[in-house]
Amino acid sequence: MTTRRDLLKGAAAGVAAGLLGPSLLTKTALAQGTVEPAADGVWKITGSHWGAIRARVDRGKVAEVVPFEDDQNPTDMYKGIHGLIYNPSRIKYPMARVDWLKNRKNSDRTQRGDNRFVRITWDQALDLFYEELERVQTEYGPWALYAGHTGWRQTGQFHSCTNHMNRAVSMHGNYVKKVADYSTGAGQTMLPYTLGSTEVYSQGTSWPLILDNAKVIVFWANDPKKNLQVGWTCETHGSMKYLDELRDKVAAGEIRVISVDPVKTKTANHVGAEHLYLNPQTDVPFMLGIAHTLYNEGLYDKDFIGTYTLGFDDFIQYVQGKADDGIEKTPEWAANICGVDADTIRAFARLMAANRTQLVYGWALQRQQHGEQPYWMAAVLASMLGQIGLPGGGISYSHHYSGVGVPTSGAAMPGAFPLNLDLGMYPEHDSENFNGASRVIPVARWVDCLLNPGEQINHNGNKVTFPDIKMCVFTGCNPFHHHQDHNRMREAFRKLETVVTVDYSWNATCRHSDLVLPACTQFERNDIDGYGAYSNSGVLAMHQLVDPLFQSKTDFEIFTELTHRFGRNKEYTRDMDEGQWLRFLYGECKKANEGKFDMPEFDQFWEEGIVRFPEGKPWVRHADFRKDPELNALGTPSGFIEITSRRIEGYGYDDCGPYPKWFEKAERSHGGPGSDKHPLWLQSCHPDQRLHSQMCESDEYRETYAVQGREPIYMSPEDAAARGIADGDVVRVFNDRGQLLAGARVSDNYPQGVVRIHEGAWYGPVDASIGALDTYGDPNTLTMDVGTSQLAQATSANTCLVEMEKFEGPLPPVTSFGGPTEV
Amino acid sequence: MITKLKNLALSFWRVMSKPATKISLGVLAFGGFLTGIVFWGGFNTAMEMTNTEQFCIGCHEMRDNVYVELQDTIHYTNRTGVRATCPDCHVPHNWSHKVARKMQASKEVFGWVFGTINTKEKFEAKRLELAQHEWARFAANNSLECRSCHNYDSMDWEKMSPAAKFYMQPASERNVGCIECHKGIAHHLPINDSGVNPILAKVEQGATSQTLEEGKQYFVVKPIAIYEDEDLTKQAGTLSYAAPVKVIEKKDDKVKLQLKGWRKDKGFGRVYHSDFGKNIRVAVMEKDPAQNPDLISVGLSQNDPATGLDWSEVTVEFWAKEGAFIPDVATLWNAAGEIYSSNCSTCHAQPDPAHFDANSWPAQFNGMVGFTSMDPSTQALVLTYLQLHSSDYAEGTH
Repeated sequence: MTTRRDLLKGAAAGVAAGLLGPSLLTKTALAQGTVEPAADGVWKITGSHWGAIRARVDRGKVAEVVPFEDDQNPTDMYKGIHGLIYNPSRIKYPMARVDWLKNRKNSDRTQRGDNRFVRITWDQALDLFYEELERVQTEYGPWALYAGHTGWRQTGQFHSCTNHMNRAVSMHGNYVKKVADYSTGAGQTMLPYTLGSTEVYSQGTSWPLILDNAKVIVFWANDPKKNLQVGWTCETHGSMKYLDELRDKVAAGEIRVISVDPVKTKTANHVGAEHLYLNPQTDVPFMLGIAHTLYNEGLYDKDFIGTYTLGFDDFIQYVQGKADDGIEKTPEWAANICGVDADTIRAFARLMAANRTQLVYGWALQRQQHGEQPYWMAAVLASMLGQIGLPGGGISYSHHYSGVGVPTSGAAMPGAFPLNLDLGMYPEHDSENFNGASRVIPVARWVDCLLNPGEQINHNGNKVTFPDIKMCVFTGCNPFHHHQDHNRMREAFRKLETVVTVDYSWNATCRHSDLVLPACTQFERNDIDGYGAYSNSGVLAMHQLVDPLFQSKTDFEIFTELTHRFGRNKEYTRDMDEGQWLRFLYGECKKANEGKFDMPEFDQFWEEGIVRFPEGKPWVRHADFRKDPELNALGTPSGFIEITSRRIEGYGYDDCGPYPKWFEKAERSHGGPGSDKHPLWLQSCHPDQRLHSQMCESDEYRETYAVQGREPIYMSPEDAAARGIADGDVVRVFNDRGQLLAGARVSDNYPQGVVRIHEGAWYGPVDASIGALDTYGDPNTLTMDVGTSQLAQATSANTCLVEMEKFEGPLPPVTSFGGPTEV
Repeated sequence: MITKLKNLALSFWRVMSKPATKISLGVLAFGGFLTGIVFWGGFNTAMEMTNTEQFCIGCHEMRDNVYVELQDTIHYTNRTGVRATCPDCHVPHNWSHKVARKMQASKEVFGWVFGTINTKEKFEAKRLELAQHEWARFAANNSLECRSCHNYDSMDWEKMSPAAKFYMQPASERNVGCIECHKGIAHHLPINDSGVNPILAKVEQGATSQTLEEGKQYFVVKPIAIYEDEDLTKQAGTLSYAAPVKVIEKKDDKVKLQLKGWRKDKGFGRVYHSDFGKNIRVAVMEKDPAQNPDLISVGLSQNDPATGLDWSEVTVEFWAKEGAFIPDVATLWNAAGEIYSSNCSTCHAQPDPAHFDANSWPAQFNGMVGFTSMDPSTQALVLTYLQLHSSDYAEGTH
């Protein structure tokens, strides 16, 4: 194992010395003794999406990982961190796809995905990267480069790879960017029209106030116990204790919790919730039935509707069957679609109206075709109940995310390495000519964009014209996990001349790239992070545990060296090294907190590992609006809750009207379209033992949940029995879009007609062909790639039907892990 | 202490007022010449003595306040070891100006004798006034003392950081005095030790020395109270960031201003917006004044088809204090733009301001701003910036 010192010696003698200048080589010393190569058996502190940890480093290797003692409810996933650092899928060297290295833009792209790569040097790799950027900007223009596709970078504010890549590539030239994301695309586009905020990433009412005031809590397609394990910055797991308190209150009969979900969730089991089953994708009919009851039984809050909302009358005409389709949305009508009997619908409506009721929605609902509708309809229901802005009442779309509901301390968190060019900096290629195409595309439609350049689509009231993309740059994100319909993606990727990916592990996006650069993991660099994405509980030191493995480098080094190729490295780094940047970011944070929160000098902070801020005051979402809707107007066009949106009406879309409506789906189980051929609804929700696709490569941890080495598919005993499948069998899951192998897990938590594969399972095709069998079980091999509607154009991953069978015959080996085939 | 000074002056006057009796004219003249040389040298030596850092920080007022602040700045320690001491910046280098400045300094001796700033609290209370004197002096000589070391002609733009060049090059073309942008470079700014964003603090600082002229338009740099009466006793409301106002009348440091805006008919009509149908806030009125026809003239109501709400144009006249207005709103937008791009790019690339329209920005902004460290006041500014640079106002966007 090379130590950092050896590496530095080598670098000093080599080309890198001249390149990096003296700064990286001499000034890196942070606090004495922490940056230096680890002394044997030293405990260090760092953070991650999975929480803060202490790690024992022994002879330059991470020997032991334990949760940070402040974390009262650590996730089990900390056990996967060791394997995330040490596993055969780590990218060891810069690699180039065989035929691309020979023929570059004229390469045989049908070979893309065959995983055959050649090892090259860093100098070669960065020269190639630079040459391709240069070629695309000069031969085509900014419209041909797509570098804005980013995601859940590793934690750490300085080393954020999203920021490094964007800043470096922006210094070279302009490029096509994205808007929205795969998690909340429909919600964040829809809710501004209704509630005047994206809501999905907003701080919610504090848990203590919910627990003290709510009599009924409805978890609607929401599984916080599962999803609160991970956070956008270092997660504190501060919200978990409230789920325990809720469990005790349920047991004591103080609060009723109802879980509206096809599946009995982890949260429902944990808190002892009542399970209200409904057919998948039928939440809107169910809610319309509730609205019908509230209206016709006079249970809705007329004052609230009159004071705080607009457009109720138009909507209620639709409910009453006096407008639009002319169908009265009675509970009986709803029951027919959603599978909940009419009396239960009525009883549920009465229960919510009679009690202080907190509605808590998950994101799965809006990750389906017409995903705008259930979110809009939920806001209408909450308005009819009239409890928006009351403690323990109203609506939330975020309590399952990153510790929402833990009161915010109010302290400023550290900033980040700049993503943007500094004021007065301009790209080398400053052309702004996008050839008549849009420079920003809705992210979930980017494969459409590859396949149909020049096509014009509607999006959120505007027209988007797809640019003719020739080259992509990815870092810290894995589109070959999060985008739908991998076979369609494979077809689209054949259109790309060059794909450059920077990552630390060889995921399916690397497999489909042309040039792959090895970044190190966050455990191999020094950084700082906010502790608690919403609670702002502290500032955390992220001590480098070990030296970058193999030939990997920090993103900072990689992009410093890239920008050096066009003479802009000093501007890129602002002539500061890692240590100087950390001191700078910490110093700015300290300054911002001056007079409000004490922070020690940097060296003391670094030594102690954390600065803690006291918990903030409990807070109620929308309370200010309720108090004075004029001064504290919502961000909707009118400033009020818009039950009917004239703006959306003005767009004239046939798949998203002036008020929330029921639209039949392209595929729907339980008697819906396509269920005769593929009867099972596949839900691909966020995993319980990963963060999206991160940590899937952690071999030892994956073994704790994989079934015969495959990703689990959860199913009901009935569906298993009907197909002769036993728990532990390998099954083939398929539809007209693709096929995959997965390991059967039979569970009473699943109703008939519903199966689940967690997203983030690594795609492992048997070969480069379109339609190839996925050997591990990525659900996005099977999902449908259509926009939610012309409004959001977001992902519709949860509109997906499949069939499955027991897999007979010789099992193909799993190809997802272990890196490329070196040629 | 006063009696001491008085006695000294009296005895000196007695000697000097006696006529000469036994000395020849030649001796007197030559002696006078010699004495002149000695005194001239002595005077200059003495004056130069008062022109040292040692002298300046001899008083604890300077040593404990501004001198400490200087020590954290680049003018005190830097990689080349060139230090600017107190007189380098605060005393004119040209002799006659220097003498004039030294004569003005009698006021400082007075202050020292009477202890006007001899405690930290007294100093802070006087800081704005003291700073304004220095800024006015720098403004009058176009930052002459700075320029004895820094010269536009000697600046190599290519060696400058892009951000510095962005501001410096245009400034050089207009020969802008250094202090106009670099207030607070050596000592703390009078306002802003806590709370106000430092970028904004500079803009606010600039407004403190802006004199308003009748009939001209200005923009408010921060939310300020507005009043019904010229004695500023009855608050009418609060102006929001960048609200455009016209000066109707001036009385000392008070101004009568006129604001035009639009309000929604639903509600109490307390919130004024910049344009019809646009939720861009320019003022929030108190409850009673909002309904006072003597104060506010209301135009005809119009229906906004985008929401179905009726809006009316309003004109209101009110009194406010000078010191928070600037003639060119661009400086405020530069500050807001910088705050936006640095705060909203820590997690993702920030959308272009023209990506959304004015009425869509509040929802986008409110949904994400919790992730930033912006205080509520800065949030209000940045939102207004985004709305006024949204697709409704930017050219050539969708």
